[in-house]
Amino acid sequence: MAANYWASTQRRHWQFTKDALLDIRQKLEDEDRALVQQYPLPDRRVQSHFFNQQLVKLGRRMTIRQQALATAQVFIRRFYTKVEIRRTNPYLVMATALYLACKMEECPQHIRVVVSEARSIWSEFIVSDISKLGECEFFMISEMNSQLIVHHPYRSLVELQSTLNMAQEEVSLAWSIINDHYLTDLPLLYPPHVVAVTAIFLAMVLKPTQAGLHAASNAAATLSNVSQAIKGVEPSQLNDIGATTPQGKVQSLVKWLGESEIDIKAVVDCSQEIISLYDIWDQGNEKTCREQIARYVKARGLDK
Amino acid sequence: MPCPGYVSKVKVQDRYNVVGFISSGTYGRVYKATGRNGKSGEFAIKKFKPDKEGEVIQYTGISQSACREMALCSELCHPNIIDLVEIILEDKCIFMVFEYAEHDLLQIIHHHTQPTRYPIPAPTIKSILFQLLNGLLYLHSNWVLHRDLKPANIMVTSKGEVRIGDLGLARLFYKPLHQLFSGDKVVVTIWYRAPELLLGSRHYTPAVDLWAVGCIFAELLSLRPIFKGEEAKMDSKKTVPFQRNQMQKIVEILGMPTKEQWPGLVHQPEYSQLQSLPYTARDASNVRGLETWYWTILKSSNYPMEPPSAYPGQQGFDLLSRLLEYDPTKRLTAREALQHPYFSANGEKVSANCFDGMVVQYPHRRVSKDDNDIRTTSLPGTKRGGLPDDSLVGRPTKRLKEG
Ligand SMILES: Nc1ncnc2c1ncn2[C@@H]1O[C@H](COP(=O)(O)OP(=O)(O)OP(=O)(O)O)[C@@H](O)[C@H]1O
Ligand SMILES: [Mg+2]
Repeated sequence: MAANYWASTQRRHWQFTKDALLDIRQKLEDEDRALVQQYPLPDRRVQSHFFNQQLVKLGRRMTIRQQALATAQVFIRRFYTKVEIRRTNPYLVMATALYLACKMEECPQHIRVVVSEARSIWSEFIVSDISKLGECEFFMISEMNSQLIVHHPYRSLVELQSTLNMAQEEVSLAWSIINDHYLTDLPLLYPPHVVAVTAIFLAMVLKPTQAGLHAASNAAATLSNVSQAIKGVEPSQLNDIGATTPQGKVQSLVKWLGESEIDIKAVVDCSQEIISLYDIWDQGNEKTCREQIARYVKARGLDK
Repeated sequence: MPCPGYVSKVKVQDRYNVVGFISSGTYGRVYKATGRNGKSGEFAIKKFKPDKEGEVIQYTGISQSACREMALCSELCHPNIIDLVEIILEDKCIFMVFEYAEHDLLQIIHHHTQPTRYPIPAPTIKSILFQLLNGLLYLHSNWVLHRDLKPANIMVTSKGEVRIGDLGLARLFYKPLHQLFSGDKVVVTIWYRAPELLLGSRHYTPAVDLWAVGCIFAELLSLRPIFKGEEAKMDSKKTVPFQRNQMQKIVEILGMPTKEQWPGLVHQPEYSQLQSLPYTARDASNVRGLETWYWTILKSSNYPMEPPSAYPGQQGFDLLSRLLEYDPTKRLTAREALQHPYFSANGEKVSANCFDGMVVQYPHRRVSKDDNDIRTTSLPGTKRGGLPDDSLVGRPTKRLKEG
């Protein structure tokens, strides 16, 4: 139920295996073969980057809290497991998701404000009539079956920071890794606490670089090594990894991980997903993405 | 959003036959319906008022409380919480379909005052309270505050099962605390409003719901709201007024709260207002005290006074006084209340059917057949269409559910 992840609609209806997710998306595309062929779009991960970047831009104009941005990102991702993207105006979907997320995260914004801010950055794609966004909200809620409560890894991070004796900079690094995971499918694949533990793990192992993950390609390499190392090991063996890293804290983290009931394999998987995210960062695909979206939105009159 | 516009895949009228109109509240109208096309059973459909711009209904964005109610009801699942069947978004309106509950506590209390007053059987009260607390424990353990518990929002099915309803004001309380206050101008119907809220507290907690349970317990015993204050209206500047009269009513029965009793009292924003209540030493000696109030009620309602069959009896008083505890940090929690000896006295088990062993049958919910057109969107709100009873007139309604 609401604050209890195990009984939540998130776990029951919005957590997929990789294969299931693949399947769902394949089906969506199959139902719209012609449309999909007519309007190619970049790789889904590139799209995710693009959406994230755009959404953050909108969020910044209204100084929206991170948690609401995160919820909006999850809404968008859920929505597009139900609806083929080429049937939608992604800019309207983004604005709507943010509007709805702000209500759910107790920082409501007036619909007029959202529309006018969205118009100021995406003027070509957003009309001034607020009823368009209101209508899209109906569409979105209906596709999500009114399941609007999203569990985020932030809470687990906050809960664990003292248990694991984390330093402030480790917490902020973990926090930003969590922010970044919304660019991937992870929110649809793993429970929030697994993501939190992954972020903590990466943050503590990475601590010496302090560079923030984005630029740190060698950090990514470190991560790969770590995840290579954890891959396939039994929890009891994790101690060794801890011992080989410079920090005692990491060691105790690894010990804690071994004792907790966290699915280690899931953590490894998650780490890899995040690492590969940094690999494809910055491929300069933004322009193509923007153009390809504009092409179908305009051609199909979805911006009206 | 897409060019042809949003069209619901599900149609209310394909799934349900609307039988008639039940009630209209702050947010819209509630209809009784039966299932169609193979769907059996009775339902209550809560239709949220759509917004109008001029004469045309338009999408204007869904209110935050409707969003909360939809989201929370979709997550919650417990035998003492009203069961949501589905939500249909159709024709710019939101329809929340619930299981139908034949009764509610307001109606049951009302029945016991008409035409003459006769008490609700003690085992019935015990069962209602137990089920209510059980539902509340579930809400609180899931970090949900109800914030609007009152007899009208507590339903009872024809099988005597209690269902907490109307989550229109409910909120998750693990969200940062300071946000719990901002944005909500009015919380909890005034007669059931906890003293810390009346005193302007911003840090409110699940304890507000337990105060309301205390008030409801008292009302089930006496058939009248225990603290029936008059609501001070918001002034033109939209500042939230101090509910002087309501606080006065509480003080008249419980006495003036003291620092010893409630150490946090002096930090309440409206503490100075409390001190300005017309309350003298003479009044202090006139304070009846909850205990006097309680035994007077028990006597006038002919509840058994002598042990061993005496219940609600002493245990009932003890429970009531711990629910109507001034200090929210000392007030019983739902879990503690459920473990109170009141429920286990005489080794009796509390029945899961609050009508167990009852001879009287409560009348069915009034359903007005005049309006069974759920599609008409512009009917004026007639508050609680059914009951022709003046004891209900003057029940305060919530205003401005939302900021
Ligand atoms: N499931 C149900 N079965 C039968 N009647 C119901 C049901 N739900 C609600 N009602 C009736 O409709 C009334 C209003 O419903 P509800 O409290 O959910 O709406 P509201 O708009 O928040 O009303 P209010 O402002 O009066 O609290 C209830 O007091 C009750 O009489
Ligand atoms: Mg109500």
